[in-house]
Amino acid sequence: MFFALTDDQREFDAAVRGYLAERFDLEAVRGVVEDPAGDGHPASLWKAAAEQGWPAVLVPEEHEGLGLGLVEAQVIARALGAGVAPGPWRGTVLAAEAIRLAGSPEQQAAWLPRLASGEAVGALAPRGSAPGTLPAVEYGAVADVVVVRSGEGLALVEASAFSATPQGSYDGTARLASLAVDGTGEALPGATAEIVAELTARATVLVAADLVGIAREALSRTVAYDRDRQQFGVPVGSFQAIKHALADLHVGVTMAEHAALYAAHAVDAGLPDAALAVAVAKAKAGDVALDATAAMIQYHGGIGYTWEHEAHFFYKRAKRLAGQFGDSDAQRARIAELTIDTVPA
Amino acid sequence: MDLTYTEAEEEFRSELRSWLSANIPDEWTRPGFWESLDDDESFRLRRDWERDKALAGFAGIQWPTEYGGRGGTPGMKAIYDEETVRAHAPRTVNPLGLTFLAPTVMAIGTEAQKKEIIGPMLRNEVIWCQGFSEPGAGSDLAALTTKGVRDGDDFVVNGQKVWTTNAVHGDKIFTMVRTEPGSSKHRGISMLLIDMHQPGVDARPLKQMSGASEFGEVFFDDARVPARDCLGEIGDGWRTAMLLLSFERGASGIAQYTEFRRQYDQIVEVARALGRDKDPVMRGTLARVLTELECLRLHAMHVLTQVEQGRDLGFEASMTKLQWSEAFQDLWEVFDDVLGEDATLDSIDGIDLRPLHAQAMWSRSVTIWGGSSQVQRNITAERVLGLPR
Repeated sequence: MFFALTDDQREFDAAVRGYLAERFDLEAVRGVVEDPAGDGHPASLWKAAAEQGWPAVLVPEEHEGLGLGLVEAQVIARALGAGVAPGPWRGTVLAAEAIRLAGSPEQQAAWLPRLASGEAVGALAPRGSAPGTLPAVEYGAVADVVVVRSGEGLALVEASAFSATPQGSYDGTARLASLAVDGTGEALPGATAEIVAELTARATVLVAADLVGIAREALSRTVAYDRDRQQFGVPVGSFQAIKHALADLHVGVTMAEHAALYAAHAVDAGLPDAALAVAVAKAKAGDVALDATAAMIQYHGGIGYTWEHEAHFFYKRAKRLAGQFGDSDAQRARIAELTIDTVPA
Repeated sequence: MDLTYTEAEEEFRSELRSWLSANIPDEWTRPGFWESLDDDESFRLRRDWERDKALAGFAGIQWPTEYGGRGGTPGMKAIYDEETVRAHAPRTVNPLGLTFLAPTVMAIGTEAQKKEIIGPMLRNEVIWCQGFSEPGAGSDLAALTTKGVRDGDDFVVNGQKVWTTNAVHGDKIFTMVRTEPGSSKHRGISMLLIDMHQPGVDARPLKQMSGASEFGEVFFDDARVPARDCLGEIGDGWRTAMLLLSFERGASGIAQYTEFRRQYDQIVEVARALGRDKDPVMRGTLARVLTELECLRLHAMHVLTQVEQGRDLGFEASMTKLQWSEAFQDLWEVFDDVLGEDATLDSIDGIDLRPLHAQAMWSRSVTIWGGSSQVQRNITAERVLGLPR
């Protein structure tokens, strides 16, 4: 039994976090948040990400990727969530996943090396289908290629074939765009219903992992603040009203960490309970991220409600991601289907 | 990531499975069977069955063979926990001994204590009770006042313990006793192993809100215990107790998950029978608690991994307790939601609800004993998160 990150996976985690801490800290995030008209896609960060192989994580080695698994990808996603980092990493990884899972050899050869190297930016349209208008596509405005639903399957739409209209969003740590697509795109021939479901599962796991990263960081920062912040002559963290809330959050965040890790493994290994694992991970991660980021504001007191404090970066990002690929209620509806309507063996 | 067990562990699983299937009567797996017996009858039946199981080699899975154990791995212990629940094996009659005392003896006991205590415990020749809580010392355990006064080679013990599991069936009791006159708080306490079959010890059942009497009270009136029957150093009982309580973690989370998941399925069955399984609010509520149960399973795999890697989990045990006890309690609150306005009825539409109500009542106790949820939150906040006391 080994349910944990390996040493290599821990090193990967430390590398991503180390880079963000040194080169793209919360002041840099603030720069992106306070420039809502900008593309939210800092060149220095993307260059470093590409150099360190973050977009290449799931691309097979034959296409110049790292050939690693969803466990490693969720390590990166979690670290990016903890850093509330902007950029089109997830969309690029998921576009590559769609092409890896369902693309023709020609499509794979054309796109995977470019997506792995960061030369091309990818996106995944979570809603709508081509032709039509696809709302709230993460980093759709800077994407070179977008994976969209088309009929029952999936298709690629290149930048020349859509027009992007930026959509304002109070989560300033990412950029969203509405994409108008005229044609049906270039079909991904292998996109069966099972492959579409697997792509959605992978997307859901990566969003859950980002939420878990947000939640843990929000909690850690709040604990650190409440250890020092004095009121009534003592640290506020010595009050049980606060201690118990933070202890419960620690338990919840830890469970969400387990759930995201397990879901990543279950999807990669094709375990029989993968669908349940993904729904559990997303439901738990979404709930705990909303709770932890709300607690971050509450247990910083007034300063936590100000623009100058970073709590709102975490809170707003959690609000956006908690709804992605099915919010907690939608995940619970799925869990109910899997455990109430299916009589156990 | 490797969520499998070794070949030897899987072999152990099939060996255990066949023994269990040959040795558990069908009748025992019927819902409500155990609740239909009186406490003494249930105890006797379980004690004898468990002895036979030990004699067949399925006890003390991870304790060395020289002390009567099987010499297995932590993975085998997890498999044992899971399979016994799966097979509807009767609950152990020696839970405090097996869960708490045995690992503590293995960690700090003398060679003689290991030999004298482990084997007889595994064969249920000695049923162990725990003497910690007192009427005036619950969560504040260090307020205990049961006194032990040295008299030659013995201590003479006076005082009262409460919430003692299996008190009326117990043979021996590991007891926190203040052995240094005038000491206070955590100092001057010893963990004495007291024979309950003596005139100075009186055990009485305590009827719980469920109507059952798993717990009892134990009165010491000039009870005698040899001073050598002290676990850990004399006067160092607090440290012994903290070590002992830390063993609640183990790998039993996998067994708990297996049991709770079966209970979830039972509750779903009732919801289906009552036509309440299509209600979207009910479905969301059930899914919420299922989420917590799944997290418990994953947490158990995490704990088992840490144990196998030889890592000390330390105060993480508090998190384990919080997760399982709160999830279990939530599960049984959902049961009441399923029953709705008929929540208190003994039966609905011919479904006997009493065994399920018994679980629901029991669920009120689990967030109190073994360190209440409030104490666990304090420990988690102070010892894990580092918040100031």
